[in-house]
Amino acid sequence: MNLNLDAEKQNSFDAIVVGTGISGGWAAKELTEKGLKTLVLERGRDVRHIVDYPTMTKEPWEFPNAGRLTQEEVKYMPVQSRTGWIGQATKHWWVNDIENPYNEIKPFDWIRGYHVGGRSIMWGKQTYRLSDLDFEANAREGIGADWPIRYKDIAPWYDHVESYIGVSGREEGLSHLPDGKFLPPMELNCVEEVFRDKVAEKFGRKITIGRVAHLTAALPHASSRGICQSRNLCDRGCPYGAYFSSNASTLPAAQKTGNMTLRPNSIVHSIIYDEKKGKAVGVKVLDAETKDEIDFFARIIFLNASTLGSTFILLNSTSGRFPNGMGNGSGQLGRNLMDHQYRVGAEADVDGFEDSYYVGRRPNGIYIARFRNLGNDKRADYLRGFGYQGSASREGWISGVKEMMFGADLKNALTTPGAWTIGITGFGECLPYADNRVTLNKEKKDIFGLPTLNIDAEWKENEKIMRKDMKESAAEMLEASGFKNVRMYDNQNNIGLGIHEMGTARMGNDPKTSVLNRWNQVHEAPNVFVTDGAAMTSSACQNPSLTYMALTARAADHAFNELKKMNL
Amino acid sequence: MRTNNLKMMNRREVIERTAMILGYAITGPALAGVLNGCKATPEQTFVPEFFSRDEASLIAALTEIIIPRTDTPGAIDAGVPMFIDRMLKEVYPKESQEAFLKNLAAFDAGAHKAHGSSFLDCGHQKKIEYFKKHHDDALQDNAGAGSSGWWNAGGKDNKPFILELKELTLLGFFTSKPGATQVLQHNQVPGPYKGCVPLKEVGKAWAT
Repeated sequence: MNLNLDAEKQNSFDAIVVGTGISGGWAAKELTEKGLKTLVLERGRDVRHIVDYPTMTKEPWEFPNAGRLTQEEVKYMPVQSRTGWIGQATKHWWVNDIENPYNEIKPFDWIRGYHVGGRSIMWGKQTYRLSDLDFEANAREGIGADWPIRYKDIAPWYDHVESYIGVSGREEGLSHLPDGKFLPPMELNCVEEVFRDKVAEKFGRKITIGRVAHLTAALPHASSRGICQSRNLCDRGCPYGAYFSSNASTLPAAQKTGNMTLRPNSIVHSIIYDEKKGKAVGVKVLDAETKDEIDFFARIIFLNASTLGSTFILLNSTSGRFPNGMGNGSGQLGRNLMDHQYRVGAEADVDGFEDSYYVGRRPNGIYIARFRNLGNDKRADYLRGFGYQGSASREGWISGVKEMMFGADLKNALTTPGAWTIGITGFGECLPYADNRVTLNKEKKDIFGLPTLNIDAEWKENEKIMRKDMKESAAEMLEASGFKNVRMYDNQNNIGLGIHEMGTARMGNDPKTSVLNRWNQVHEAPNVFVTDGAAMTSSACQNPSLTYMALTARAADHAFNELKKMNL
Repeated sequence: MRTNNLKMMNRREVIERTAMILGYAITGPALAGVLNGCKATPEQTFVPEFFSRDEASLIAALTEIIIPRTDTPGAIDAGVPMFIDRMLKEVYPKESQEAFLKNLAAFDAGAHKAHGSSFLDCGHQKKIEYFKKHHDDALQDNAGAGSSGWWNAGGKDNKPFILELKELTLLGFFTSKPGATQVLQHNQVPGPYKGCVPLKEVGKAWAT
């Protein structure tokens, strides 16, 4: 008895954070900085900033096979390798699919990194605010549930996050793509400047440099982070700490408070619900190394295990009170899975500019803000819209394959950069559909004996019709800008490949139709907060990570205030 | 990395090893001739793990035709033949491996038909002539295809053999240290991006 009490005391904290990725790192930082003793759980191994980035400074010739995965390696990453860009330099960041199975009822690419820092190490760094065009969309159109917040609720938290992580970008004054707290913008190249000007002149549309979480100037509060050196080797981990990751930024901040206990190799099985107290009291953990089962206790629990990871934990947290998963009184838990569709757009050749080149590999490109279904633009055939990302560049040596030359002539010709080309790809919004969903498969267990997820989701009519416009509008803008040989492309992508999976535990005002309230608290278990992509009520078309971070900081503030008031 | 073997061996060892790989018994006067720089076949400095010795010799000769040694290193100097051998062995799926070998054999059989001897036994001019015909025909037959680059070595599409080999050669060469740093230029840490710089200030094309 006493032993148990001791163990419980030893395993008790003010707060537990599940996950160390882009939102978990923020939960850890905010809660520990407010003075809460916080246990931070990560299912994968530890990754320390810089020390554990084994490939960060390797040269191209230091990798076998030009950096490609071998057939032997692909065997263990049949899903992860669908991305097409995982190679020797980054393979250690992506899960072994054989050891981490799920069930594709319909094709779904679940691209994951299980380690401290999660996908904040490999993310795209594109950082955009949502606006009321997005927060009001569901209500305006009668789709899904209404967001329980508006732009004014989250705007100060966007400020808070951007100021801390460092976001480079240009103020453009667009109400539907609000400006943020920006570091100096990265440069456009000569051809991108022409494209920007032509598209403004002929369409009245805005092309801006990508808004990215790379430092282009020093951050006074983060002296250990340096300025971007345009290596564009980001997803190996940055030796300068120039881009934002949990490892470079939020976790060290949490560590510095002395209030964080970071526990890697800790797979959360479920949330422990105390029927007598009528509340969640902790989490059940499986130690990935010893396979031991350990209970940890806290007054508040933040789920930041990534969209499907957090929903898995809730679904697996069953009790007398929650026979169908914690907080699933609405039946919405696991439903409304969304992603962004992309890999569709156009490219073109560019005449001229032979005397211009660039220095550096800019880990960024241009961004074309959404222009569909806003203002005077009204599409009869689909709802919502899309943005584009792209860039112009000069062809490199690989273009030599199609040159009608070889030998010394070819070798000599390739020392001069090739012709300019330009390309853009759309990122399109996906509507929430109740039948795009995940459920637990209790028949098929993983190596820890946990159930696996059945994922049953697909693009539907609205996405397919939008996709056609994404392709054609791209070509139209390139054509109108005077570029040559415009080529439309549609390389299709399974849902999931955007790696912007979101939804499945949506926020809403009504507990009958949503899982989380306006502060990301589980309606039916208010000391449990879900502040990663699972919370999203709609997907918008912007890259979502900034919104996860802002929701997390906002929820952490609310949680702390409620704790002080003894409400939780 | 791939040139390390070469660096560690002296010239004689290299030649003896080459002879072993090529299956030639070079002895006495013949070896002296080779040492004096009179080579009939491209030298090889690796033991093929995927290709047979004859296939490896053919691959080596073809890569050197695509990227020859000039005042800067060529494909063989940069270890491209070994690169291709390992790519085929480790990266190519089985069906692509088989197709590649079949196409390589067909290429050589074509040389027999056109010139009455295997490709390697052809004289230099005949080699170039035969290569050029295959190369130019393949490009003409596939005009417009892959306009955004042929960047899929090991993929499953039906790219003409000669262009697949060309792609592998460029890939191996320009990701090697000599290709990236002596033929093109490479800088791992360029500093803040500058978007519009006169080409003459930058100089050669960037390797990456």
